Amino acid sequence: MAEKKISFYERMQALDRRYIYLVVALAIIIPLLIPFNSKTYVTEPSENIYKKIDSFAGRKDRAVLLSFTHDASTMAELFPMEVSILRHCFERNILVFTICFLPQAKPLMDYALQTAKEGYEVQSGIDYVNFGYKPWAIFVPLLLKMGDDIAEAVETDDEGRIVNNLEIMKEIKNYNEMNLIVDFSGSAAGLRWITYARAKFGANVALGVTAVMAADNYIYLQSGQLTGMLGGLKGAAEYEKLVDVFATHKELDENGILKPAPREFSKEIIKESWIKMSDIKNRQHKTARIGMNAQTVAHIMIIVFIVLGNIGYFVSKRKTEKVS
Amino acid sequence: MKRQIPLLIVIILGFIFAIHTFVPHKVSADFFDWYQTWIKAISPFMVLLGIMSLTMVHSTKIKRKVPNWQYSVVTLLSLVGTGAVGFIWGTQEGTPFMWLFKNVQMPMGATMFSLLAFYIASAAYKAFRARSAEATVLLVAAMIVMLGQVPIGIKISKWIPEISSWILNVPNLAAKRGIALGVGLGMTATSLKILLGIERTYLGGGD
Repeated sequence: MAEKKISFYERMQALDRRYIYLVVALAIIIPLLIPFNSKTYVTEPSENIYKKIDSFAGRKDRAVLLSFTHDASTMAELFPMEVSILRHCFERNILVFTICFLPQAKPLMDYALQTAKEGYEVQSGIDYVNFGYKPWAIFVPLLLKMGDDIAEAVETDDEGRIVNNLEIMKEIKNYNEMNLIVDFSGSAAGLRWITYARAKFGANVALGVTAVMAADNYIYLQSGQLTGMLGGLKGAAEYEKLVDVFATHKELDENGILKPAPREFSKEIIKESWIKMSDIKNRQHKTARIGMNAQTVAHIMIIVFIVLGNIGYFVSKRKTEKVS
Repeated sequence: MKRQIPLLIVIILGFIFAIHTFVPHKVSADFFDWYQTWIKAISPFMVLLGIMSLTMVHSTKIKRKVPNWQYSVVTLLSLVGTGAVGFIWGTQEGTPFMWLFKNVQMPMGATMFSLLAFYIASAAYKAFRARSAEATVLLVAAMIVMLGQVPIGIKISKWIPEISSWILNVPNLAAKRGIALGVGLGMTATSLKILLGIERTYLGGGD
């Protein structure tokens, strides 16, 4: 008996998924190894976080709290956000506090601080303070208590020092001064800050979330309960660019030497600015933008897969209809 | 008594905390401070409970030699090993604990999450079909949002990011807000039922 001839489209429909996995792996690995230049377009939710943090520059009576609520699985998307926000704070002399309520987040928080600190002469207790790990069970009570007195709520920092005695706390009392909280998570954990710190004390809250969680939080952006949001690797890439274009901007002085010259945020400048990957020496400062290369190729590839799959589906369907 | 005492604790404390939220009196504030001290003291015991539970579950699996019991050995060894290096050398940068975190925990976590990309690509190819009008709308919306999220989207057309943003801000928000309102109302109703002692299933035991 003659074997039934399988058409190209039918063969494509029954393609072994291991070939798909191989294509995905190559589409992600190659752009990571050989980064190419692609323009990052900055969106308003990212701009708003940048502008809010930048408005605290040089002030001793304003601070930002970074809350790390994730583990290593979501690190690829969230870590570049954390490092770029910390870099922004260190570059512009903005007081920054860090805290986490998950034991898995503690080493990530330390690693982010360690990475961002490179190249800056910042001192713990003066320019920043790491509140360390606090048990999840006291998340809400501590969050509420910080509305009255941060030092009293937190008590000791990661190094065991009494927070109230630290120089950084001289002009910082509660959410009136620590007026922006940025929570990094791959879950709905950040909503607690909106429910309690925002609603009860009027604190500004922003989120850094994974791309899959971003869609859930647009409602809070639209209602104004969130100051801004960094969504996935795209949000991280946008913030990296904002820090490069404005906070770490350098200009030539009269002697032709490049000197730091941070500038105010401007929509015109960010629209026109183009940064070549090769101009950024430290890979940690462009991780998200390199990752966006891989994400671009992966998204295109998924779209190609969807189109191919549908072409195969419709051709096979038409053939079946003709036969019957 | 086994059910009445926990029920009374829940009802009394539930009402006290509800009142505390709305009454900023000194008595209320002092009560909250007292509660905070207690919760700080109690919370480490939850970790202890977790460790005990994990140890009991996995040691039973090892004893009974259930299928894949070898993984339980790895779990217990990892628990003891990571805990030990943390207690002995601390958890700061440059310690064996941090080495384990960077070289074991981080790559393993990232691997688990990155598997999503492979499954999504495979599912997109094998199952994402324009079988009906609704499926076609979903498919087109997904493609626009995917293109809108990457720099190439704006290169193809300046409208792609605009449409992507509209999809996220209008139809997506309408559905999400509806779900959020439903969940919120449901939570309020369930909380009231627990406070009034009508909902008791959390106590276990059936009724």
